[in-house]
Amino acid sequence: MAYVLIVDDDEDFAQTTATVLRKEGHEVQIELDTQDAAESMENKPPDLVVLDVMFPEDASAGFELARFMRNESEQLKEIPILMLTAINAKFPLGFGPKDINSEWLPVTDFLEKPVDFDVLLDKVSKLLGEGSTTG
Amino acid sequence: MEPDNRTKPAVYELSPAQHLKKPSSRSSDDTPGEFVEGVLRKYRQARLTAESQGPPSNSIDRGQHREASHPGDARVTVEDSEKGFSESLLVHNVSWFCQFRWLVIAVLGLYGAAGLIPGLMDYFSMRRPGIWPFVTSAVLVGSNLIYLYLARTRTTGRQIMFNLWGQISVDLVILTVVVYFVGSLETNIAFTYLFHIVLSCVFFSGRQSLIVTIMAIGMFAACIMAEYVLRILPSMSVFAESGDVEYSSGVLMKLAFNFFLAIGIWLVVWYLASHLSSMVRHRDYELAETNRRVVAACEERSRHMLTTTHQLKAPFAAIYSNAQLLLQGYCGEIPDEALQVIKRILLRCRRLTAEIQEMLQLANLSSMSLESLPRIRMVSTELLEWCISQVDCIAQEHGIVFKMDIRPVTLVGVEDHFKMLFVNLLSNAVIYSQRNGQVRISCKPGPNLEPVITITDNGIGIPADKLPRIFEEHYRTKEAVQHNKESSGLGLAIVKNVAEMYGIRIRVESRPGFGTKFELKFPAQDESSGK
Repeated sequence: MAYVLIVDDDEDFAQTTATVLRKEGHEVQIELDTQDAAESMENKPPDLVVLDVMFPEDASAGFELARFMRNESEQLKEIPILMLTAINAKFPLGFGPKDINSEWLPVTDFLEKPVDFDVLLDKVSKLLGEGSTTG
Repeated sequence: MEPDNRTKPAVYELSPAQHLKKPSSRSSDDTPGEFVEGVLRKYRQARLTAESQGPPSNSIDRGQHREASHPGDARVTVEDSEKGFSESLLVHNVSWFCQFRWLVIAVLGLYGAAGLIPGLMDYFSMRRPGIWPFVTSAVLVGSNLIYLYLARTRTTGRQIMFNLWGQISVDLVILTVVVYFVGSLETNIAFTYLFHIVLSCVFFSGRQSLIVTIMAIGMFAACIMAEYVLRILPSMSVFAESGDVEYSSGVLMKLAFNFFLAIGIWLVVWYLASHLSSMVRHRDYELAETNRRVVAACEERSRHMLTTTHQLKAPFAAIYSNAQLLLQGYCGEIPDEALQVIKRILLRCRRLTAEIQEMLQLANLSSMSLESLPRIRMVSTELLEWCISQVDCIAQEHGIVFKMDIRPVTLVGVEDHFKMLFVNLLSNAVIYSQRNGQVRISCKPGPNLEPVITITDNGIGIPADKLPRIFEEHYRTKEAVQHNKESSGLGLAIVKNVAEMYGIRIRVESRPGFGTKFELKFPAQDESSGK
């Protein structure tokens, strides 16, 4: 089974996601800010990163971590990233899968919170099966 | 749905009232970027901004600081009046000067040609001009071609200004030659210097236009000195009788008076024109600054709305996830009654999330002035296809099919607004349709080429007495609530707000049990585009 790193400042939400993924047999680590997440990844590269966008100290820290992984780390550049955020993807003000690109939003897939667990599990298994396809 | 002939459908029209906000007359073509893209760009550049100027949210603070430090400040007036034009405007001015110069060249050429016609000049008691009109017009042709070449190849602000100053200097020299041959003091030709003085006041700063005025005075004075004081040049005039004659002291005094009077008039004209021009330019900068602040405020509002939506949705996402854990047995077995409670929690979470989104959209629309937003031209086919794609998922769940007859028409406005408008109408059509129903979307130009878009469903319909209230915020008919509990009752209020902003006439035709048709008549193209 895979090692999944959840990077989200909302601990309640991260714990629920972790519970679901652990139940599937994955090893899960939660990091509440992106700097700790970067260090954690360098020490032990995960098979998948579940990443939030907005963090208390930086509204675009999630983007930054994704860009760091893709552009500045040989070790981490191929790891699939599932962006999971409460930003509204459907309302035109927000952003979503349509905005994924290698420069601005270099993630592999995108899900909007709140998310149904079956949808989440489906995405996770696909990403772990397919590996990185974007970025 | 086929209408039943025995009962007529109820009809309600939502007409844009006179006092409602109308699209501004400003053209959208020159306003780069759009509302949503602005927000996206802001996020896309978040890191860049953070590195170079601080976080994006600081941008409005910087704007406010600038506003607070300068209101009514006289120094700003001076600085603004000294500022030049943008490079594109300078290029435009260069081209305009060159076009005008072709006219002058034509006049000089014609005058020279007229001088070649035997007897013509004598008929008007004028002296034959000889070759000077041809020489001056040839110099002007050559220099004009050089200016035009430079205008195309040298496009930085400094190079354009160099081009403009070159034009003015050469023009003044040529004009002085013309003034000399036409008759510097015998005729009123010297007042042609005023063209250059006034134009320089319009196109240059006060200081620069004064330099042009002094250059004009200097060249005119040099001409007069050479002609009348030093007498190194013979006295010239277009008139036959004023040859190279000796002037009495009285006549010379009169000429000297005329000379100083002309210069005095030029200086007064320079003062008035540069002062007026400075006031207009200052006003122009004030307007540009106000516009910049409005755009910055709009961007800030968009950013704020995005983060507010996020902040409000995030807790519900956590509640929803925790409720799912319970519901799906991750925390052990739970009695059926408790499961029902958890299901209700989940349902309300979803509803509240959607409501938050709609409330924010509505609040944003209600407090927004259309004039302050950049508008673009959109083709109805692409826009409607995008909107349909947003509701396609729910449509498939309900077995609803879309029948489309969409012809391309142009809509002018803020893309987000039209997306909100159509997504709300389409999602209502889908949600309130019977299972395996049909939603028809038609888009075509009306009799006056105005875009007409209709969305027709064969759903539950709306009773006649309730039709006038459907656009009220949070209003929902009993029938609608029975059919779908999850709506906030804000969708049509959003539709109404957008319609009012753009002067869109909405006609609703409905029969309970048969379906509803929304017909949207947009203002005719020239009106909607504000042209």
